[in-house]
Amino acid sequence: MHDVMRRSTIVLAALLMTALPQISHASTTAQGSAQINYKIMPSIKAQVVPNYQSSFGPIGGLGSGSTPAAGPSAVLGGGTVDFGSVVVGYEYLYKYAAQVSVQTNDAAGFVVYGEGATDLNGSAPVPVPATWPLQQTLFWLVSSASNTAFSPASTFNKTTTGVPVGVNGSNGINYGAGAPSPASMIWSNPSSGNLSQGYDYELRLSGSIPISQFNVYIVYTVIGN
Amino acid sequence: MKRNIFALFALAALAVLTVTSQADALQAQKAFKEMTITVTVTPSPVPMGFVKPSPVAPPPASAVAEVTRLLADPFDGPARVAFAGAVYDVAPGGGMQVAQVSAQPTPVPVQFVAKADPSAAFLHIVPHTPAVSVPYGTTVLPCAFEVFTFYTNTYSLSDWGYGTLKTGAPPTFPIENFPTVSYLSWAVPDFGPTFKPYNNSGPPGETTWTGAKNQSQQHCIDLTIVVPNSQSAGIYTATVQYNLYVTLP
Repeated sequence: MHDVMRRSTIVLAALLMTALPQISHASTTAQGSAQINYKIMPSIKAQVVPNYQSSFGPIGGLGSGSTPAAGPSAVLGGGTVDFGSVVVGYEYLYKYAAQVSVQTNDAAGFVVYGEGATDLNGSAPVPVPATWPLQQTLFWLVSSASNTAFSPASTFNKTTTGVPVGVNGSNGINYGAGAPSPASMIWSNPSSGNLSQGYDYELRLSGSIPISQFNVYIVYTVIGN
Repeated sequence: MKRNIFALFALAALAVLTVTSQADALQAQKAFKEMTITVTVTPSPVPMGFVKPSPVAPPPASAVAEVTRLLADPFDGPARVAFAGAVYDVAPGGGMQVAQVSAQPTPVPVQFVAKADPSAAFLHIVPHTPAVSVPYGTTVLPCAFEVFTFYTNTYSLSDWGYGTLKTGAPPTFPIENFPTVSYLSWAVPDFGPTFKPYNNSGPPGETTWTGAKNQSQQHCIDLTIVVPNSQSAGIYTATVQYNLYVTLP
């Protein structure tokens, strides 16, 4: 961004050219050229589309005796990443969970962070305690047709530097003057452009997770370099 | 008399064959579970040292003379202005802080309904170290997880690297595939301190432990992982399949 700022500073040299002669040579006139540099402020736009491909939904649960299926809140191109009913102790992969698109003119590129606004919130019934750690339960990996429930993946973390906005972070995370934790980085791109990247989610249910419905909001934040 | 002896031997042989074949036939897989551990291989530290900086070249004589002249008489010569060329971010005399541009799209809601595992009463895993960052070399993970087993008849617990086969499966770090030896080894400290590389030939795998009728047991599994120098830094998963085979009544 500094490069952009450097390129785009507006210098009103003409004003100085007319003012300085009055100081040192008040009785003379002067002519000259003005060099004007201008700045194009960097901009970043981003969108996230859940369930972004027609074959979205959960697979896995090997050995659980049941076949996973997306819950009713999952709809193509929107809605919720809804794993439906899953069995404790097993592992699942949700294909084509979310696609992040970024448009920026920042020549230095951008970084995308993804983290939970909260831990997993239990409801129906409300367990004790009411939350379950997001870390080591929900994971992310770049979408690929060959992904399985056992593919290498990185864990989502609950935010440590921001404050959830709205109920359970339904409106995002407020970082104030700060930024997401570097550990939450999911994508770094070194140049400008109009780019997209899709992500699958993995769910690994520890044997001690309570029987309940769990929800969490995953917040994506894009910051220019 | 001789006929009776032959008949007796034949009967004994038949009895032995019957028992052994029944033992094989009555074994059944009651449940199986996968245990996945995320392994992050961290890069080796890069050797560092301090190097004496090169001597700075003196400024050109013309620049020195120009500065000296301007210091002596700042208004001498043609009028000059300061301007923001390639040297400055902002005009001299002031500074400003520019916030990084950012965007935060609408969050993605995620949900699931956790249901009870009907086979957990016979076999379940209690993870303690589901993810670990390891350097190059050998790392020991004491009680990385625990395995619980129970059945109303005699049983055995076996394991093998998930997705491995005797031949043909692609080797993946750290469990690899036969004949490459697994870089991940296990031990049950309740039974002994010896570590053994995970079986990576697929079924029937190796016996983890056996149990008597109505015996419930839960033991820690210690792990060691070896990261060879040839392995790239990155994120890997090790998945082990545990199988409960029970003797049917």
